[in-house]
Amino acid sequence: MKARIFEIKRFAVHDGDGIRTTVFFKGCPLRCVWCHNPEGLEMKPQLGFYQHKCVHCGACVTACPQNAHTLQGGKHTFDRSKCVGCGKCENACLNGALRLYGKEMTVDELLPLLLADREFYETTGGGVTLSGGECLLYAEFCAELLKRLKEEKIHTAVDTCGFVSKSAIDQVAPYTDVFLYDVKAFDEDAHIRCTGQSNKRILENLQYIDGLGKAIEIRIPYVPQYNQQEIQSIAEFLSKCKHVKKVQVLSYHNYAGSKYDALEMENTLPKQLPSEEEVRTAQACFDVL
Amino acid sequence: MIDFALKKRYLTTEYEKPNWIIESGLSLAELTAKVAEFEKENDLPKALIKAKTFELLIENARIAIDKEDIFQDKFLAGNIMAEQKRAWRKAVEKAYLSEETEETKRAWEQFGAYSAHGDYSHISPNSRLLMEVGFTGLLQRVEKAEKRGGLTQKQKEFYQSCKIVLNAMITATNRLAEGVKEYNYENYVALSNIAKGAPSNLYEAMQLLTLYFYLHENVAGARVRTLGRLDFMLYPYYKKDLESGRYTKEEIKEMLKFFLYKFWSAKVLYDLPFCLAGKDENGGEVTNELSYLIVETYNELHIYSPKIHIRVSEKTPMDFVKLVLACIRQGNSSFVFVNDEIGTETLRRVGVEERDARNFIPIGCYEPAVWGVEIGCTGNGGVTLPKAVELVFTKGKDYATGLPCGVETGEIRSFEDFVDAVKTQIAYMAEKMTHYVTEIEKHYDKIYPDAILSCQYDASVERGVDVYEGGAKYNNSSCYFWGIATLVDALCAVKKLVFDENYLTFDELWEALQADWVGYENYRTLALHLDEKYGNGNATADELAVQFSKFCATLVNNKPNGRGGVYKAALFSVDNNVYAGARLMATPDGRKAGMPISKNLCATPAMDKNGITALIHSVTKMDHANFPTGSVLDIVLHPSAVLGESGLHAFYGILITYFKKGGFAMHGNVFNVDDLRSAQKDPEKYANLQVRVCGWNAYFVNLSKVEQDDFIKQAEHCKLF
Ligand code: SF4
Ligand code: SF4
Repeated sequence: MKARIFEIKRFAVHDGDGIRTTVFFKGCPLRCVWCHNPEGLEMKPQLGFYQHKCVHCGACVTACPQNAHTLQGGKHTFDRSKCVGCGKCENACLNGALRLYGKEMTVDELLPLLLADREFYETTGGGVTLSGGECLLYAEFCAELLKRLKEEKIHTAVDTCGFVSKSAIDQVAPYTDVFLYDVKAFDEDAHIRCTGQSNKRILENLQYIDGLGKAIEIRIPYVPQYNQQEIQSIAEFLSKCKHVKKVQVLSYHNYAGSKYDALEMENTLPKQLPSEEEVRTAQACFDVL
Repeated sequence: MIDFALKKRYLTTEYEKPNWIIESGLSLAELTAKVAEFEKENDLPKALIKAKTFELLIENARIAIDKEDIFQDKFLAGNIMAEQKRAWRKAVEKAYLSEETEETKRAWEQFGAYSAHGDYSHISPNSRLLMEVGFTGLLQRVEKAEKRGGLTQKQKEFYQSCKIVLNAMITATNRLAEGVKEYNYENYVALSNIAKGAPSNLYEAMQLLTLYFYLHENVAGARVRTLGRLDFMLYPYYKKDLESGRYTKEEIKEMLKFFLYKFWSAKVLYDLPFCLAGKDENGGEVTNELSYLIVETYNELHIYSPKIHIRVSEKTPMDFVKLVLACIRQGNSSFVFVNDEIGTETLRRVGVEERDARNFIPIGCYEPAVWGVEIGCTGNGGVTLPKAVELVFTKGKDYATGLPCGVETGEIRSFEDFVDAVKTQIAYMAEKMTHYVTEIEKHYDKIYPDAILSCQYDASVERGVDVYEGGAKYNNSSCYFWGIATLVDALCAVKKLVFDENYLTFDELWEALQADWVGYENYRTLALHLDEKYGNGNATADELAVQFSKFCATLVNNKPNGRGGVYKAALFSVDNNVYAGARLMATPDGRKAGMPISKNLCATPAMDKNGITALIHSVTKMDHANFPTGSVLDIVLHPSAVLGESGLHAFYGILITYFKKGGFAMHGNVFNVDDLRSAQKDPEKYANLQVRVCGWNAYFVNLSKVEQDDFIKQAEHCKLF
């Protein structure tokens, strides 16, 4: 059994309690306009090409079996349509201009990497977080990984957008200490505007997890022009949940622009950033819960 | 009690332009002439000349009274005694060591290979004893020891010099007391009491410390490199004064502000440190109410000197450590954390007794030594590790000048040959370095007898022998090794490029290095991007770091020095990484000629690719208790990583995990790379941005361009987004 992973981040301090290692799974059912991990949207592997780092050395040309890279008149060009995402060119490029997002990994391969920072987890009450993309698109894999982590007595968190099947939740819940659950809007139309999908299932699943008695941390990416009107109703909805331990309003940032370019994806990032004041006001709606 | 806020602006300038009272004594010129005349007319042993010079200065120098301050300490003595020390050192070098001195100088100033010098600049006075008994108590101890009879001439002179300096200290106290009488009666009373005995309250204790420091450092030309364990020492007075109602906590805080600000205004070279927290010699935790109050007060002052060493044991309260971390997070980088357990263990390994080992104090930057018991000489110099790599290629010559600098090691046919040759070069430099130090130490009696310090040291007083002639219980010296990461990366590159993968031959690599990689850019890129780099959890690199650190420690630890003590190894560079790097040719790891080598325990700039946790894993694979003169890891964290309560907890986790895994000292900087870049462009706007360069602090905008770039590179690697 394998899953496609696009990043493993150590010393993660924003994905649950303490110092953690976060595993990012590739593929996501939603298309949030503000997505800051565009490399996690597609299931298939994608090559990121960071042009500003390229020195036109041609090493990738030799490495690629698909002839996706060419060197013409001393200038390197990359034809994405030919790329099958095998990753051979990534290692050939010594200048960090090429990065393959989405490597197939097994549980056995992942585990030692996730256990490496065990001592840091122990001193801070941290652990491992599965994130994405949407990690629960790989529910069976995640269940196995989480089980193994629990056997090692590692604290586990699952960061999900909630747009998944109940069975996926059932599979991972026994080995998950806390769910980091993203809520973006309460009104269905607003949610569709934000993410392209209805939120019916998301809200249902949240109640379902709450019913299982699992600890939940809610995360609300805050993009005022999209979900400012939603904050109050989200707060009301959450007040009925019993196991929500924490609600965090995450200030939207637009640092991800270069990743969209590197993947030749259409940059949908909203231009306008929330002010600190706006974020504080939004957060205050939940601090009274 | 005087309100600090009202006085602050006067205090800032008090050290720069003291109001010397003309009628109170001689001008500097007159004083200098008087000392010269005295030296000429008296053919006495150096110890006595020095003691009498001090006495002469105290009796004849002008004083200044800071009417706005609550602590007095000023005598117009210029650099007279520092100059005396310099002249005596020069004379010894000329008479006994002229060739060796030249050779050693060249080895550092031209080749950047190793540095070696006598060190009488790193002391940890027995401030605790001084507090307990005062100048008069010290005097009584000397008189008692002297009474035992059967003394040699030398011992008699020793006791005489101790008595002279102590009486001079008392004279100094009385002179200041008289001077301040009409302005500040409370200060007058405090000084008069100190002149008669031990301090009896917190105010007197702080006045005594301040005055002692000034007299030893600024009049007698010593370099006091720690005030001692301040919370431990002052707490009994603090408690007593609060209980008796003598002072309120607010009043004490106000006094502390004056006290701390005094050392800030003094602009002590490399910042004067003191120590807080950690275990005492009985194993109990020192941290007390005063520890918290000192940190809070310090942080409110927005100063970066004195700098503060925080000893952390498993008993040190988490909230105290976090209080300090929060100060660092705000941008105050004058704190260093030191691991209690490793500090103690490392001293045990060089023969320090248990109780003494527990009572270590970080001297200067972070070097552990027994407080008031050991003469640590923690600044004797050291060896540039990556220079050994150059010397293997050149077969023992400095590349730039062609002059001999190492050993003629033979042909290199395998990686094992290379490792052996590098070790031979390191051993050669360490031998040269320690040899010079040992030789010059035999003449310390003619360069730097120090009665002021000796009379605070139990063993010295008992034996009647100056601390710098082996009179202390422990009389140790130091040898540093700098550039460990550059060395390891260079070794890895040779292994991989030449011997494992055969990208190029050893001779071709040598060509590339001589060309400073010009025309070999592809190989350089290859070298720079190897996975085998120090600080990344790479097995090959980690094993080499372990192997070489152990090798270095074994070379010098417990090796006898010239004063009846032993050498203690250190694994950090302070700013020597820039100086030595500037004199080093290109290295196989892809570094260009003249660039800095790696700093302290840090990875080569920009080469810690797997983040801070991996760096800590790798660094702690080395045994830090093998470095009794210390080691330090500097870390840079992005502000967003340490945001809020959870961020502070993560910061705590980094520190505590480093210590649990056996690290010795750590200092943290919190800033983001964009701020540093802006500061480089717009220094005026960022005048207050401070960074910890090495063992001391600096404003970022005052660093050289090379150092600034180094910091920026380091900071680039801690981006969170
Ligand atoms: S290998 Fe990297 S640097 Fe060289 S041409 Fe390809 S992308 Fe550019
Ligand atoms: S990932 Fe594979 S197919 Fe795609 S460009 Fe690189 S080498 Fe070619």
